Amino acid sequence: MNLFFLQWKETFRAPQWEAKLSIKILIGLVMLYFIGAFIFGASMVYPILNKEILEREPVEVFNGIVLYLFFFELVVRFFLQQLPVTNIQSLILLPFKKRQIINHVLLRSIFSGFNTTPLIIYLPFAISMYRDDYLGSQVMAWWFSLLLITFCLNFLIYIINKNNAFFVGLLALLAGTIALDVYWGIELGHVLGRAFDAVVASPSLSFLFLLPVLLSYGAVFYFLKRGFYMDAGLTKKRTAVRGGEYAFLNFLGEDALFLKNDLRMIIRNVRPRQIVLMSFLFLFYGLIFFTQDIYRNQESIMVFAGIFVTGGFTMTFGNYVPAWDSSYYKLLMTQNISYKKYLLSKWNLMVFATAVSTLLSFPYVYFGWDVMGIILSGAFFNMGLNTWTTLFGGLMNKSPMRLNVKAKAFENTQAFSLNQFLLIIPKLILPVLLYWLPAKFIDPLAGYLTLAAAGILGIIFKDRLANWATALYLKQKHETIEAFNK
Amino acid sequence: MIQLAKLSKKYSDNLVLSVEELIINKGEHFGLVGNNGAGKTTLFSLLLDLIQASSGRVTINDINVAKSEQWKKEVAAFIDDTFLIDYLTPEEYFAFIAQLRKVDKATLQDFLTQFASFFNGEILDQKKYLRDFSKGNQKKVGLAAAFIGNPSIVILDEPFANLDPSSQIRLKSFLASEANKDKTLLISSHDLNHVTDVCERIVLLEKGKLIKDTPKSPKTLKELEAYFSEQ
Repeated sequence: MNLFFLQWKETFRAPQWEAKLSIKILIGLVMLYFIGAFIFGASMVYPILNKEILEREPVEVFNGIVLYLFFFELVVRFFLQQLPVTNIQSLILLPFKKRQIINHVLLRSIFSGFNTTPLIIYLPFAISMYRDDYLGSQVMAWWFSLLLITFCLNFLIYIINKNNAFFVGLLALLAGTIALDVYWGIELGHVLGRAFDAVVASPSLSFLFLLPVLLSYGAVFYFLKRGFYMDAGLTKKRTAVRGGEYAFLNFLGEDALFLKNDLRMIIRNVRPRQIVLMSFLFLFYGLIFFTQDIYRNQESIMVFAGIFVTGGFTMTFGNYVPAWDSSYYKLLMTQNISYKKYLLSKWNLMVFATAVSTLLSFPYVYFGWDVMGIILSGAFFNMGLNTWTTLFGGLMNKSPMRLNVKAKAFENTQAFSLNQFLLIIPKLILPVLLYWLPAKFIDPLAGYLTLAAAGILGIIFKDRLANWATALYLKQKHETIEAFNK
Repeated sequence: MIQLAKLSKKYSDNLVLSVEELIINKGEHFGLVGNNGAGKTTLFSLLLDLIQASSGRVTINDINVAKSEQWKKEVAAFIDDTFLIDYLTPEEYFAFIAQLRKVDKATLQDFLTQFASFFNGEILDQKKYLRDFSKGNQKKVGLAAAFIGNPSIVILDEPFANLDPSSQIRLKSFLASEANKDKTLLISSHDLNHVTDVCERIVLLEKGKLIKDTPKSPKTLKELEAYFSEQ
């Protein structure tokens, strides 16, 4: 019971609650939107898996692919789910039984937002099943077994998360499953699918799915109990330091100093790694738009997508620019550092990342040279101007960053402000106009050239822009130090 | 030379520091003592322009710290662990500071050898990030780094806290050896013994005000102990 009250306080005294009311409402709306989108999407699945075309029951088809959904869920959980294990360090000396604490942690994890898949994906599907002549008991049993598997995944992630080898194993398993399917025609997905089919056929079988839940619970329980000491399971694992010299950057001379540090920062901390991963996903953003004919003729949306394809890193990394260094900002502010050099090194990093994204985006040529033209000119715009706009935006972002802690969903929302919202205009709407106006009145080539030229101007005048940014950063120095000190 | 003139710091209506005048001469070993909340860290933060003064000014070698950044060439400091970059190894951290202070690799290696006994074999070649070191060892790294590049003014906040007794003694002898190099040293501490050992001038701060400013004499420690026991 005591543990429950602690939990209560922790939840309601979390800094997220101190955000402004307007921002809370906005977050609420965004969350509602996503939940709604998922539910809507999931409820469309049943009609799409059309009986007449596939000549099979939709639920059988769904059961056949559900294994891959589980894999996907595990990967997402691996990257995002923060386990509440570290919170129990402070309880270890208090008079609770170990058993009690571990049970508390595990049961509490059931209420994590990551366990909403049964509600937002499986439930709409189940409802469609019910409307399609399945018995209530069949539908309930089917949904119940999926719910149990979700719990099972929830517990398994504790073990996978502790050790990267398990994650590699997981990926190997996934690759193996796909290989078996493709090369030997052994569809493991179907084997698991049969099990769910069986549940639909005889609902009482669903209780058999309690077994994997109990097994995984037992395994995690054992795992945590064994590691229940300050130096073992509860603290983050240390790994011996390798590399980090980056001697190949030495040709940059003095400029290499900060660049090397930024690379180390990204590689050695959880949070920046997440960001880099996200910016990699941005590369695929174009697939949504370039593949569909509805969008192909809407140039404004094409530019929008083009900016996102190469600008992922710039927009995600640049948005936290002094914040990345928040934990040692005071050091930087007392050292004999030229702030301009510091900003320029961040700028170089973003330009470099944009260049890499541009190289990686060449396969988009498949969709035609008009798409490639937009991506290339957008890349120049990202390098020359969006880099600076995000640096200005980053300065407004005065929440300290805990580098080695995974981000919770919506964690940095306190940093969100009206000003940053307004920055969308130069970041996304300006490039659309720069392309669209000349493209409409002259021809598309003029559009590409104007967009690219705007970016190139930013590169040519980088010195002046850097001076300007430096002045702004220095003006806010004390305010920033104070905010980062919290 | 460091000059403080009519310096004050207020948080809303709460006056945390108010110094009419204070001059710290070149080469002086200046010790700042006081209880928790006396304003020691506030004073150092003002010297380093980490917080903005409510009134008055600080000049280092006639440069107003709030107006120009030229003073940074002369000054190094270790205030707390926010002066460490926790995802670097000690070697990388030293190299980073050395590059900022235009010290080449060979000079840095030479410089670090004098800390061999202070580091006690626990700092270099550990293949660990700073965040994985104990508090005491982190402090050793920060303290050593503050002296890289031979800055003429070094500011240390509570340098003895968190160090084991042997390391405290080694640090004291190192600071004493630096004394001969015409270096201005500013140290704050709760520990009267250490400050009176290292510093030749002791300033006592209480609730943001200078209470006492004396050159060290054989009696100083006794006087200070008497003062604090009455508090």
